[in-house]
Amino acid sequence: VSTIRFLLNGEPVEVDVPGMRRLLDVLREDLGLTGTKEGCGEGECGACTVIVDSGLVVSCLVPVCQVDGHVVRTVEGLAPVGLDDDGRPRLSPLQAAFLETGGAQCGICTPGMLMAAQSYLDDGGTADETAIRAAIAGNLCRCTGYTKIIDAIALAAGGGVRIEPTATAGAAGGPSADVVPAEPAGGVGIGVDSDGGQAMADQPPSGSAASDAAHPVVASLAVAGRQLGGQGDPASRVRPHEPPVESPATLADAYRLLADGGPWRAIAGGTDLMVELASGRGDPPTRVLDLHRLRELRGISLEPRTLVLGSMTTYSELLRSRLAGEIVPALVEAAGTVGAAQIQRRGTIGGNLATASPAADTAPVLLALDASVVLGGPSGERTVPIDEFFVSYRQTSLRPDELILRVRIPIVPGREVRFRKVGTRRAQAISKVSLALAWRDGADGPDADRAWRGVRVALGSMAATPTRARATEAMLEGASPSRETADRAATALAEELHPIDDVRSTAEYRSAVASRVLHRLLRDAGGW
Amino acid sequence: MTTARRAPRHDAVHEPAEGQAGVRVGDPEATPLVIEPDVIAPGRARVAPLRREGPEKLTGDALYADDLVFEGGWYGGTVRSEVAHGRFHGLDLGEDFAWDRVIVATAEDVPGVNVVSLIHDDQPILVPIGGEIRHRAEPLALVAAPDRATLHEALGHARARVEALPAVLDPAASDQEFARYELQKGDLDAGFAEADLVLEGTYRTGHQEQLYIEPMAMIAVPEPDGGVTVHGSLQCPYYVHEALARGLGLPTAKVRVVQAETGGGFGGKEEYPSVIALHASILALRAGRPVRMIYDRQEDISATTKRHPSVVRHRTGVMRDGRIVAQEVDVLLDGGAYCTLTPVVLSRATLHAGGPYAVPNVHIVGRAMSTNTPPNGAFRGFGAPQVHFAVETHLGRIAEALGMSPLELRRRNAYREGDVTPTGQVLRESVAALEVLDRAAEAAEFERHRTWTAIARERREAASGFSPDHQLAHGIGLALGWHGAGFTGSGEEHLASVASVQLTEHGRVEVLVASTEMGQGTKTILPQLVAEELDIPMESVDIAPADTALVPNSGPTVASRTAMVVGGLCVLAARRLRETVEARNDGAPFAAVYQIDARTHGTTRIDQRFEPYPGGEPFDDATYRGDAYPAFGWASAVAEVDVDLDTGEVRVQSVVAADDVGRVIHPVLAEGQVEGGTLQAVGYATIEEVKLDDGRYLNDRMATYLIPTAIDAPRLQTILVEAPFTGAPHRAKGLGELPMDVGAPAVVAAIHDATGVWISELPATPERILAAVLAGVGSSDGSGHPTDDPQAEGAA
Repeated sequence: VSTIRFLLNGEPVEVDVPGMRRLLDVLREDLGLTGTKEGCGEGECGACTVIVDSGLVVSCLVPVCQVDGHVVRTVEGLAPVGLDDDGRPRLSPLQAAFLETGGAQCGICTPGMLMAAQSYLDDGGTADETAIRAAIAGNLCRCTGYTKIIDAIALAAGGGVRIEPTATAGAAGGPSADVVPAEPAGGVGIGVDSDGGQAMADQPPSGSAASDAAHPVVASLAVAGRQLGGQGDPASRVRPHEPPVESPATLADAYRLLADGGPWRAIAGGTDLMVELASGRGDPPTRVLDLHRLRELRGISLEPRTLVLGSMTTYSELLRSRLAGEIVPALVEAAGTVGAAQIQRRGTIGGNLATASPAADTAPVLLALDASVVLGGPSGERTVPIDEFFVSYRQTSLRPDELILRVRIPIVPGREVRFRKVGTRRAQAISKVSLALAWRDGADGPDADRAWRGVRVALGSMAATPTRARATEAMLEGASPSRETADRAATALAEELHPIDDVRSTAEYRSAVASRVLHRLLRDAGGW
Repeated sequence: MTTARRAPRHDAVHEPAEGQAGVRVGDPEATPLVIEPDVIAPGRARVAPLRREGPEKLTGDALYADDLVFEGGWYGGTVRSEVAHGRFHGLDLGEDFAWDRVIVATAEDVPGVNVVSLIHDDQPILVPIGGEIRHRAEPLALVAAPDRATLHEALGHARARVEALPAVLDPAASDQEFARYELQKGDLDAGFAEADLVLEGTYRTGHQEQLYIEPMAMIAVPEPDGGVTVHGSLQCPYYVHEALARGLGLPTAKVRVVQAETGGGFGGKEEYPSVIALHASILALRAGRPVRMIYDRQEDISATTKRHPSVVRHRTGVMRDGRIVAQEVDVLLDGGAYCTLTPVVLSRATLHAGGPYAVPNVHIVGRAMSTNTPPNGAFRGFGAPQVHFAVETHLGRIAEALGMSPLELRRRNAYREGDVTPTGQVLRESVAALEVLDRAAEAAEFERHRTWTAIARERREAASGFSPDHQLAHGIGLALGWHGAGFTGSGEEHLASVASVQLTEHGRVEVLVASTEMGQGTKTILPQLVAEELDIPMESVDIAPADTALVPNSGPTVASRTAMVVGGLCVLAARRLRETVEARNDGAPFAAVYQIDARTHGTTRIDQRFEPYPGGEPFDDATYRGDAYPAFGWASAVAEVDVDLDTGEVRVQSVVAADDVGRVIHPVLAEGQVEGGTLQAVGYATIEEVKLDDGRYLNDRMATYLIPTAIDAPRLQTILVEAPFTGAPHRAKGLGELPMDVGAPAVVAAIHDATGVWISELPATPERILAAVLAGVGSSDGSGHPTDDPQAEGAA
């Protein structure tokens, strides 16, 4: 049990809970704010979306230790406090827009949807349909078909509804505020503690006033439910799989912990580990090493002929980085296909590598880029070429006492990289097939015959690990992207890799589509 | 040529103004929607009121089941079968766990009859020791613990001793029939003899998961009198009430069911909540304390009901001019392991299998078989989406074979007023098939787009092999459907629902119904209808919570019956209340005197019981002759898609949906139903697929069972059509299920228009599309790359 302090809807709060407890559970059960909902427990539905600092997260995938010293906003913080003249809850302009357009039906996705919409508006979002759809792609709604939700957000963004400051507006920081973790602020310990219901004291009673008046039994029940949320026996809130966690502030501290021999499980953005813990699948780790305070693992920087990504670089940091956008646009594109906003905000490049899923979205691009991975531990640092990093199914060359520190990407003049992911849907999808293709165009060299050099063909979801198709690469090396080359490469790829049937797709489809996507990329490159 | 009463367009259609940047933005000046008094029709909203419980949902104050806390409550869990078929020999409680920390219940602990009460008494609450296990997620035992960690540990130490038996997983191979229905009209052989063309086809659909975003949740609280109160996420309080009384052996007065705010149902919370309520109550009564059973997503998907998979065979005789003269249909549904609602689902499937077409010679047979998979049950559409996919796709193939526009083929055969259905029902009024068809086709510019897509197909055909221009193929498709409004046949008469409206002693008007709010707008439209009937402000009308201690049994919240049937009862009750009050106040208008009347006379309550709608032929359940439904709703959809010819991926770009609902009570909520139902249909058509392995659902998580996100969702345009049903006092028909029937066949027709292949099995996954495209292509280039042959017909 740790003492965690954070700013919740403008109020400082302090809770004594296991550090690995989900932020969702702390909000709902330890603090009694049940507005944030649970729909899936694995970061897919977005119902538990809240804003941490200035970005969206799914609170089911955030261990509460990672919000220590941060700013959290939930649906309860959107509206001005108190009741209106008719005794109804007061609404923010965004909430009013949802009510007017019919953007809420059953209401279970609504709190998370509102937080995604609020974040979009906070970032200056306008009444642009495409942008709004992208902004809420991580929030599933089964009732509305999204049309009236989009109408509501456009209405709120377009000035149709008067925007007035709410009780907690202005808490959001600048766009890069989350790159460096905030220090735990001193003096935030005043406020609601684990046995207090103070955060709810200002909340209006639930249920319509009319129904309450007519049915006091139900009304008191409803109110009781709300008040008891943060007061019930704390022992009853214990969940399986809340292992102890350490959050070292420096790499040296982390190495000292790792040096004690026993196995640690590292947590970065938590988008895999938290799912695993909640599902109860596999053997839960006995203890967890939280990396989120390690500044040494953050940031995107330029070294001579090399782009260096700290392992804790998130997908949304990659998406915002001008440096990455200029040097490795295909990697940025791949980062944009991971989950949706909430997962992009949390998931890290190091985490994607360490999990070593065969479907890892960034892995094929990193393979195509000839990246290398810098690993470090108590016994020092070492650099591993990425194609030696993935050993077998979900196994890497990372030793138990090592962390992934950085990813190094050589900057190769004239190198072109293309990426294509085929998934079941357009956001929040694990790939059926992904493919990255890299080459240098011979037209720049002495042999002006358009012959390709340094060809890399790397694939995801086609083997037990993210993998290079070396025979296909060899076939393409020195060739030019003609129709004949494309046909031969497609055939070579189909012969080289032997994917499997799984819950997402079939071996037959994967094999055919990998070949056809490669063919398409060669066609596009050849311009025929 | 339409025979439906066409309301003035500005009246019938609520189309939000075009906003900036191409986004439809509701003009704040235009909401609430105000309709001029001179166009007020019965049931028509003068104002579209804001959602009644909307503010609480938007602030996070609304309390769903998992938000309710009961002091001292424990957590309940379920030990389930891990074989599809077997015999349950006993439960072993491991020695390395202190079992006195928890409560364990088996079938022996069921206080009443060990049956989940519904149509047949075949499903046990818990499989008895020695009993037969009939599916992979079957409940065998229950555990309650003071916290979730202890519960998890206990469940991990409980082992069911099970003997596995051979499982039947294919409904066609099953010899256990749940139900069989047959419809006959005219002379089928004569019809086929007359036909210029006879076309056959087989169409398949898989399971579909409701995937309400709030998983199943139920909390049972033991009462001091030995009874139990259950709070939960549910659609039908009295279904749960009846099941509890029987399974717990309690008098009905000692059972109370309270609906918590419910985060979506779509049919999925029609019957399964009874199972969970029974489980939670058995544990709560044993433990003497509240027990919460909140399913996680995996348990919810693994164990609860899905849409019935189907195999539908069509054999159709048509004349060259497009007239359908003979129609033979065979419908097979997979009911799963227990009967649940399967006979009723099959009944609706059989009755709708011919589609909305007047055919002189018809023979339709429907069968539902048992398999060792979890029971299938209610899901929006209730058997109709499956048969609509089959008949509409079959019609598309007929149009292609005849070289006729699919729109024209439907125009020639669609029902008109006076036509007779296969049960002998004469469609006397409220027939809007042609109107919805033409409105959707016009709005989507169907024929013009078809011309373009045909040209594009020809160009692709002319170009040999790959071309960068031809990666995306665009297509447009159309479908027409009908949906019987309310319960099938004599269902409403048997149900004899009661809705009440009362004027309380405090001068408030209150609606008392068991109809639940789960997003569709019950809490808004019922007070609205009553306020309009009484001519008092909407704010003066309350609606009671769906709590069996407070409200009468107005029937289940299913079958698109709430607005039509229960809404009608509310209007009639309000009318009688108005007459009663006005009569004792010298004929003064209700609005002027009701407050004074309340002080003088105290509470006045009117209970309105369902009476059969006037006219019509009674339905004979034995012969399947007569009026199957009091009226039908009509729906059409036009979908536009882009198909990636490299990968078979489909992007549904837009859907125009035209739906006839009799009368639009609340335009915003009505549009919300059409939009939501249409997207569920698009998901059904494209990506929603349940994969099974030995009777187990493989994709039992939200990461593996995928529904459309906001960027997958097409642009949706809704056209509301009003062909009034005069049998209802407010003229309304059902709405919720209509859009679910037509979306999938429209998308599949559009995929055909784009690619030239008919996909005969839902969902039309990229795997199926690519296989069909490749099968339709010669292997001339050896690499299996497409030549974009529009004539390819690999799948049908």
